Amino acid sequence: MPVDTKRVRGPEVSQSPSLFLCKTAANKSFTQKDARVDGRQRGQVDVRSVFVRCGLISQAKGSAYIEAGNTKLICCVYGPREMERKDETDMKSGRLMTDMRFAPFSCRERGSWIQGSDEKDLSLMLLESLRPGVCLHKYPRSQIEVNVMVLENDGSVLAHAVTCASMALADAGIEMYDLVLGCSIRQESATYLIDPTYLEENGCNLASGSGDNFGSLTVAFLPSLNQISGLQSDGEMGEDILTGGVRTCIEGCFKLYPVIQQALTKAVRRKAPPSES
Amino acid sequence: MSNKMAVIHLESGCQQLVLNWDETQYDFGDRLCSTDDCIPGTGVYLRHGYIYSSLAGYILRKNEGEELPVISVVRETETQLLPDVGAIVTCKVTSINSRFAKVHILYVGSTPLKDRFRGTIRKEDVRATEKDRVETYKSFRPGDIVLAKVISLGDVQSNYLLTTAENELGVVVAHSEAGAQMVPVSWCEMQCPRTHAKEFRKVARVQPEYLLA
Repeated sequence: MPVDTKRVRGPEVSQSPSLFLCKTAANKSFTQKDARVDGRQRGQVDVRSVFVRCGLISQAKGSAYIEAGNTKLICCVYGPREMERKDETDMKSGRLMTDMRFAPFSCRERGSWIQGSDEKDLSLMLLESLRPGVCLHKYPRSQIEVNVMVLENDGSVLAHAVTCASMALADAGIEMYDLVLGCSIRQESATYLIDPTYLEENGCNLASGSGDNFGSLTVAFLPSLNQISGLQSDGEMGEDILTGGVRTCIEGCFKLYPVIQQALTKAVRRKAPPSES
Repeated sequence: MSNKMAVIHLESGCQQLVLNWDETQYDFGDRLCSTDDCIPGTGVYLRHGYIYSSLAGYILRKNEGEELPVISVVRETETQLLPDVGAIVTCKVTSINSRFAKVHILYVGSTPLKDRFRGTIRKEDVRATEKDRVETYKSFRPGDIVLAKVISLGDVQSNYLLTTAENELGVVVAHSEAGAQMVPVSWCEMQCPRTHAKEFRKVARVQPEYLLA
């Protein structure tokens, strides 16, 4: 009879050790105090300060890097290129392809290089948020590729990916109706935490039992046109809490707007200094 | 409150640096201008009768002799051109067939493309006269550089459709079977300077001002 020599199985009454891990860190810091761990306030539009830089990757048509707290993302844009698969679409407008990946070292547990289902979901949401902003009718028969890589995941990854991707598109010279900025919020019963960190996003599931109004929300917003292009929400929230959350996210986007504009101005000046004609 | 980030005025042509996507929300109140003042050029779009920028770059206001100046936003790096219907493109023949020739489009006008687009020249578009008696083998060979015009963007299955059915379009550079660059003899023949053999091509009559002396 063939014997399985490769696996070492424990005794049949054994249990996994992770059941006995004490989850101290998560429960501790999320009692209803006023200050968050990194010193920001609850219930106020207090986004993390960002560092953005365009034009890092020379091989790509356009690129951008964003750092918000510990969340670090990099995005490159290629195109317009000839469309590879000429199925389904009509040729009068271009196609936008987005791809969002997490580096294996980005999260607390090592991930794999193969795209998982949540990465595919995030890529799709990124595509939906960016598509209304890009003038695709000016690029018939072409495709524009946007690749985002998360180097370190410390919360609100989708929101910063949207911002980073639209900056990279601007750096690449792709015509757009407006910049798309992203902001996310974590709702906890009475108060909200804007631009949550990883622990704030995931650690609250176990805290203070009452399952009312716990959720998170990510909004992608076009500031000059005052339009929302993407909305993603998780959890259970009442209707007015949800609309209040959307408004808060919009305020957060407006706070980011001047920083992004300045970074783009510097990038344009650096790429092409004003000519003395 | 003005949202133009930095305004660099130069004397002629007044170039200013503007940051893209001017808002025209009620609080900020800035936009490039209204359609009464300027005509939109490239890199801008129209919305509700106002002109907004769609690129991050420099504003260029040019007075072209019409009543209103043309406003456009440019980036100094080469503007990404896509082959458009009616544009003259420079392409290289990759393969030929009894019905068509496949080409790679290299230049649009005089700007090189970063990525190569593919095009097709059908047998009936090679020349204007005697379209049915064209032989592609006697008009193009793989490796020839051809000037062509885009007639269509093509549909789902096909590539860009090009035509050489004009006097100024056709083969400009070709190499003979011996490997030397050939000299045009007539509109349908080219001669190799080394072996003096003549080969058939559909030759372009390049305007004298485009030839380097």
